[in-house]
Amino acid sequence: MALGSSICRFDETRPLSSLDPGDGGVVVRVLRDRVERAERLAALGVTPGARIRVLQTFPGIVFQCDETELAIERGVGRSILVDVTGGEGGGMELAPSA
Amino acid sequence: MATEPRVPLPRAESGGNPARPLNGHDGIGLATVPRVACPYVAPDTIAEPPVLRLRARPLRLALVGNPNVGKSVIFGRLTGSYATVSNYPGTTVGITRGRALIGAEVCDVLDTPGVNALAGVLSEDEEITRRIIAGGEADLVVQVADARNLRRALMLTWQIAELGKPMILVLNMIDEARTHGIVIDRAALAAELGVPVIETVAVEGRGMKELREALTQPDAPVVRAEPGKDHIRWAHDLAVRHRRQRRRSVSRLQEWLNQAVRRPATGLPILALVLYVTYLFVGVFGAQTLVALLEGWLFGAVINPLVVAAAGHIPWGLARDFIAGDYGLVTMGLTYALAIVLPVVATFFLIFGFLEDSGYIPRLAIFSDRLFRAMGLNGKAVLPMVLGLGCDTMATMTTRILGTPKERLIAILLLALGVPCSAQLATIMGILGGISFAALLTLFAVVLLQMVAVGFLAARVLPGDRSEFILELPPIRLPRFQNVWTKTLLRVRWYLGEAVPLFLAGTALLFVLDRVGALAWLADASRPIVSGWLGLPSATAEVFIMGFLRRDYGAAGLFDLSHRGLLTGVQAVVALTVMTLFVPCVANFLMIVRERGPKIAFAILVFVTVIAVATGTVLNHGLGFFHLSF
Repeated sequence: MALGSSICRFDETRPLSSLDPGDGGVVVRVLRDRVERAERLAALGVTPGARIRVLQTFPGIVFQCDETELAIERGVGRSILVDVTGGEGGGMELAPSA
Repeated sequence: MATEPRVPLPRAESGGNPARPLNGHDGIGLATVPRVACPYVAPDTIAEPPVLRLRARPLRLALVGNPNVGKSVIFGRLTGSYATVSNYPGTTVGITRGRALIGAEVCDVLDTPGVNALAGVLSEDEEITRRIIAGGEADLVVQVADARNLRRALMLTWQIAELGKPMILVLNMIDEARTHGIVIDRAALAAELGVPVIETVAVEGRGMKELREALTQPDAPVVRAEPGKDHIRWAHDLAVRHRRQRRRSVSRLQEWLNQAVRRPATGLPILALVLYVTYLFVGVFGAQTLVALLEGWLFGAVINPLVVAAAGHIPWGLARDFIAGDYGLVTMGLTYALAIVLPVVATFFLIFGFLEDSGYIPRLAIFSDRLFRAMGLNGKAVLPMVLGLGCDTMATMTTRILGTPKERLIAILLLALGVPCSAQLATIMGILGGISFAALLTLFAVVLLQMVAVGFLAARVLPGDRSEFILELPPIRLPRFQNVWTKTLLRVRWYLGEAVPLFLAGTALLFVLDRVGALAWLADASRPIVSGWLGLPSATAEVFIMGFLRRDYGAAGLFDLSHRGLLTGVQAVVALTVMTLFVPCVANFLMIVRERGPKIAFAILVFVTVIAVATGTVLNHGLGFFHLSF
């Protein structure tokens, strides 16, 4: 799996909406400002620890989470915080704090 | 399956006389069972101890799982009856019931709509499924999972366990999981969960034998979930422990297609190509070639002359006309249903079924999300809208997949207003395709603009919110010919069963109206509108009446008028535009009543009629003003 920004080794948490196609990482947190949205995302597998990869960003964001491909609008992407350095190694390890 | 530890469980049947499991392990001899007590026991099965149980009523299985994991395929395999199978979430709305013979026992099987959660904020369908599991409607849950998405499935497993139901876990599409490099340690997973775990490839029938065997085991336990742990972490940990990721071996073509259809640079040309091929197949081959063959030759030159000749022997003029006259059951009703509409409906269903199974349709949501958002919806609405091209009535039911009441209302309104159903679409293509491509484009442009305008207004006028766009995209697959074919045949049969009687009833009604002079009166009364505003021949009035019975029936009437040279190009465009925007058919109307209540249904009816006439009037005068003709 080619991770575009896995070169930088320092801890970096960014909203999914700011990632470029090809970028990936591990979900650290899903904002719960809208509980319903967070729950729907969780039910689709977007939970802390899930590995994601952005496939395209225009006209909408499409990303892969495990083996699920999801299309979302930008606003939803802003609520998903991704650790883009968590590239190598631990496929599905839970992030320490959620 | 021998490795599974058996855990005693609270029996599913509560109240009354709890049925006792009967088998060798319990030490209850079969001899103690009076044979008459169980009506389902065939004599030769007495010899096989583990399959026997004694129940007051049949065991009830509920197939539960995330959307698009293959519940309906397994339902079909178990019951032998077909539930519509497609490759997108939300194909099954509401519950499908069937019966299956498992071991020696007849079981009731429930196919439920896909759910992503059974606790927390639930959609309408999720609520239905939750009630089935939690209420006494199912004794045993068969959770069907997409083997590629084990973690998501396990979150659901936990929630089923919380509802206290015994269950079996089915890892379906295990073949696809393998090509994606996913290996699941089934035995270890089963041991940890404490329930049977079966691997299947349901579309090929693989693993069904094992599933049936597991179902004949006397006690399916409730999953042992660790109390105090949150279901997300529990599922995550389990998945990490029992799932391995190896090298993927997905075919290049599949990966390329998957990318190509969702990227604008390639996706939009592909969309144009899909529409063009659909037009060629349905609008040209179906609506022109096949219709010419059936209407022009089979009915026009063979059946109808024969019927007319045979009817000539009937001494009673009224009966003669009733069968073979201008509004004759055969010469009009059957001819419309079988010669004009059937070929186009059949070709449409075929290509539509292919698209459904390919996983293509949900990807259109990516392109249309922004547009739909302006209309108070989100990209997800593309599903009911495109399904509406098959049948608006069914699509009205599918609006349940949308998130909020406001979205559902707007979608239902737009379906009733502008989305032409397959039969109507085909007659449109049949008529306008024969006039000019510009005529066809004009109609679609006007209808589309009208829908966008109405949607835009509705988004601002109606109270409530839209939901955010989050849509799961099913994998791109090469459709199975067998499924597309079965589905098409089933839909054609449904069309024949539903449409032909209505066509005949409609014809009979028109016949009566014609005889008592009501038709002439109506044509007179509506002349100011039909001829004055819309600039159409007054005969079109009756076509509009037919359109309410079924839109395609009305469209077939227009087809007939235009064939007889009674409509100019402009008139055809205006008439078809009005017909497309016009009232939904009776079935669709009743479905709206069922889904949203009579008040809203009537409001939509009135609104849509006004819009249709207004648009037709503007179009007629606009085209006249600019001296445009087709």
